[in-house]
Amino acid sequence: MNSAPRLQDKQVAWYSYVILLLVIMFFSGVLKSSDSWWGFIDFTTLNGMYGTIAEQSNFLGKGGFGAMYGFLFAFSLIPGIMLALGIVEVAERLDALRAAQKLLTPVLRPLLGLPGAAGLALITCLQSSDAGAAMTKELYDQNLLTEKERLIFAAFQFSSGSTITVYLSMGVSLFPFLSVSHLIPLAVILFYKAVGTNLMRLYLNFAGCNNIPE
Amino acid sequence: MNIYESFLDGMRKGLKIAVLNMLPNVVVAFVFIKALQVTGLLDAIGNIFSPIMQIFHLPGEAVAVLLSTILSAGGGIGAAAGLYSHEVLNSVHLSILMPAIFLMGAQIQYVGRILGVIDIAPKHFPVLFLISIINAVLAMLTMAYLIV
Repeated sequence: MNSAPRLQDKQVAWYSYVILLLVIMFFSGVLKSSDSWWGFIDFTTLNGMYGTIAEQSNFLGKGGFGAMYGFLFAFSLIPGIMLALGIVEVAERLDALRAAQKLLTPVLRPLLGLPGAAGLALITCLQSSDAGAAMTKELYDQNLLTEKERLIFAAFQFSSGSTITVYLSMGVSLFPFLSVSHLIPLAVILFYKAVGTNLMRLYLNFAGCNNIPE
Repeated sequence: MNIYESFLDGMRKGLKIAVLNMLPNVVVAFVFIKALQVTGLLDAIGNIFSPIMQIFHLPGEAVAVLLSTILSAGGGIGAAAGLYSHEVLNSVHLSILMPAIFLMGAQIQYVGRILGVIDIAPKHFPVLFLISIINAVLAMLTMAYLIV
């Protein structure tokens, strides 16, 4: 099977950029509003909340611990994970990820030391570490990545794999308890992924790794 | 292109991840935290690591979150939620830990799932592990001193 076209640029429709912007706004909570029609473009609004029991707490109750409480706690997170991944899937179907790739491609070389061809794999690995890793292997096999670039890219993928998916599925459980907006930790994660990638660049340039081909 | 179908597809994916990946990891972490607490090990860990974790404005027990997350991010999240429910961690602590849970999360699994698939030579593994840990440490410092 020839998978080369999948790794190369494809036209992105204007609406994909709009969808990308909407999805970012959806998860950021900037449109959260209880009395305006656009209030539905908000993750926490659509995710809803559990009703209260005895006007005190929801079905998790109070004072639970151990496996039983852990199970109920995990169970209570399932709707949020389903909603988040449903939205991400729709965004992908509408090419919003390709739009993000288009926007990122010009800055890949200066920012991360990666060629533009790595753009799609980079966006993909934020969503699925498995798909991202498989695409990276393909890029290398097709000589679109050098050995050094492959190591640099691996450093990006290895720290916080499937960033968006894992953050929205596992992380969602702590969102209500955080003292900051839940987008701030995600921004910090993405920032340090980039920092770590550049640490790998430095390491490869200065730590006597001259035996690795460019 | 059927948007409704993809929405349902994504929901199914979410249900599968939630039930098969997240839920068992979270339950294990809650059991782990309870066991640590009953044996008194949680207090001991808290005392031993308190000087180091203080740098990040965290109690010593927070180290249990960092150790759990190396195995799976869900475990790290579960440990954090467990410690929160035992009132060992507060919401500021959770915010400081949040990025680190992911930046050094599931490293053991990702050796096979990422580095193995990309064909990275094992001699490079130590530096990749180190970079993830540096990322996590810098992220905790950033959260503790600049953000929360």
